[in-house]
Amino acid sequence: MAFLEVKQVRFSYDAQTADAREVLHGVDLEIEEGEFVALLGHNGCGKSTMAKLFNGMLLPTAGKVLVGGLDTSLEENQLPVRKQVGLVLQNPDNQLVAGIVEEDVAFGPENLGVPPVEIRRRVDEALKAVEMYEYREHAPHKLSGGQKQRVAIAGIIAMETKCIVLDEPTAMLDPKGRGEVMGTIQKLNREKGITIVLITHYMDEAVQAGRVVVMDEGDILTSGTPRQVFQQVEFLKRHSLDVPQAAELVYRLGASGVKLPEIPLNEEECVAMLRRYLAGRAGALS
Amino acid sequence: MPVLETKDLTYQYGIGTPFQKTAVEKVSISIRKGEFLGVIGHTGSGKSTLIQMLNGLIRPTGGQVLLDGKDIWAEPKKIRDVRFRVGMVFQYPEYQLFEETVWKDIMFGPKNMGLSENEAKERAMEAAHFTGLKEELLEKSPFELSGGEKRRAAIAGVIAMDPDVLILDEPTAGLDPRGRDVLLAQITQYHKARGNTVLLVSHSMEDIGRTADRLLVMSGGHAVMLEETKAVFSKGEELEKLGLRVPQITKIMQELYKMGCPVDPATLTVDDAFGQLLPFFKRKEELR
Repeated sequence: MAFLEVKQVRFSYDAQTADAREVLHGVDLEIEEGEFVALLGHNGCGKSTMAKLFNGMLLPTAGKVLVGGLDTSLEENQLPVRKQVGLVLQNPDNQLVAGIVEEDVAFGPENLGVPPVEIRRRVDEALKAVEMYEYREHAPHKLSGGQKQRVAIAGIIAMETKCIVLDEPTAMLDPKGRGEVMGTIQKLNREKGITIVLITHYMDEAVQAGRVVVMDEGDILTSGTPRQVFQQVEFLKRHSLDVPQAAELVYRLGASGVKLPEIPLNEEECVAMLRRYLAGRAGALS
Repeated sequence: MPVLETKDLTYQYGIGTPFQKTAVEKVSISIRKGEFLGVIGHTGSGKSTLIQMLNGLIRPTGGQVLLDGKDIWAEPKKIRDVRFRVGMVFQYPEYQLFEETVWKDIMFGPKNMGLSENEAKERAMEAAHFTGLKEELLEKSPFELSGGEKRRAAIAGVIAMDPDVLILDEPTAGLDPRGRDVLLAQITQYHKARGNTVLLVSHSMEDIGRTADRLLVMSGGHAVMLEETKAVFSKGEELEKLGLRVPQITKIMQELYKMGCPVDPATLTVDDAFGQLLPFFKRKEELR
């Protein structure tokens, strides 16, 4: 059984009213424990709705969402589900509540009724995991965007959720802040085995995931490893998605008759491939 | 004559408190009339404080801002006129929509400038056209629009004031790739058609690379570079030390250049890179 199971889920905003608008049209998706999945799609494709369905903030209009086997639509499952799936949103300023970093991180476990000694341990550990321990006594509003997002992530880690869903966590950050947040996400997935669902518009972030799921018009279009998905340059463009500049360049050279073996995912791969090609070899990546 | 000029422009927060901090220090730059200037710098580099001083939203604690050669604070009572002439689109401007209809929202600026209802309407129409807002949307409440449409309506509200200088702070943040491409194309189009000055603040080096003529790089409150975009992006190592980077395509072309390929190491767009590489690779292909 997968950790997150989305079964034939439909969702309408303002269901039961004349303005009802269905944004998900029978989605099926399974995410295993420990996976790192990137969810892509243009604005309005339904991916943020999916994020809110994963932790029971929204409930499906039809179909089921199961978290660790628990049906999110049953009231008695609400708290157990939120203990397992934490949500990090785009704007860090809307997620930090306390005047001191460590108090902010403690907010979640306090609400769960965790004993104080245990809270202390969890807060310290969570702040160390996101490399913000030295800032534990700082005021959140004085931190940079990347630092604030890492504090928000620490707040989720302190609740010891098995899964973190991040909805465009780097949209408001500069390149350095984006790098910090992505580094943290990778580390949590690899070292702590936390399941990650990352919603993003940045293809260079999506390529870091183990699996990429592409959505459009409230349905899942395709799913696969980043390498599989990003080979389909034309397909992605047709659905208003982008590919990294490295992929775009090689794709266009290939379409004009230059025999390059595959689409590179980043600049290093692109350069290595072109180097091998120019040296007279076929240029395959591995 | 430059349209905007700063002389030893300085801003300190919290003067006389323990939190005193210099956000912008002795910045002397000159912005050319009609140019498309990109502004980059990591969080805390002072770029937001700088642009807020350029349109008189905050008053410098030292130095001057000259608009067409005149100190904008020479007559503090006339600072409103400066704000009409130097239009500012903030980050996430859609949160500032408030009127009953999109029309009224876009007309708010021009009417505040003292234009008649008809003139304001004309300006609003033109601005809506520049930002690609369809006419049928104008009668709606701004809150009925999609995120991308709201963003356009908010930008149109500033364009409708017909500013000499338009400053946009991260106008594409949170938009999807297509929304971003369309909006950037519209801004470029607007710049060409009006010939006025545009300042684009962005964290996306790819976006900056394909739009800006020149680049201002801010770091630690100082203006550390102000040069042609190509010249700035050929200094990859210096940029990395400042927490910035060059566009991915530029990086690739620099590596190819180092390998001895006959390419321009300061290539800024995929189109340009493709145009240079295709003939070269075609020849290689034929030799096989």
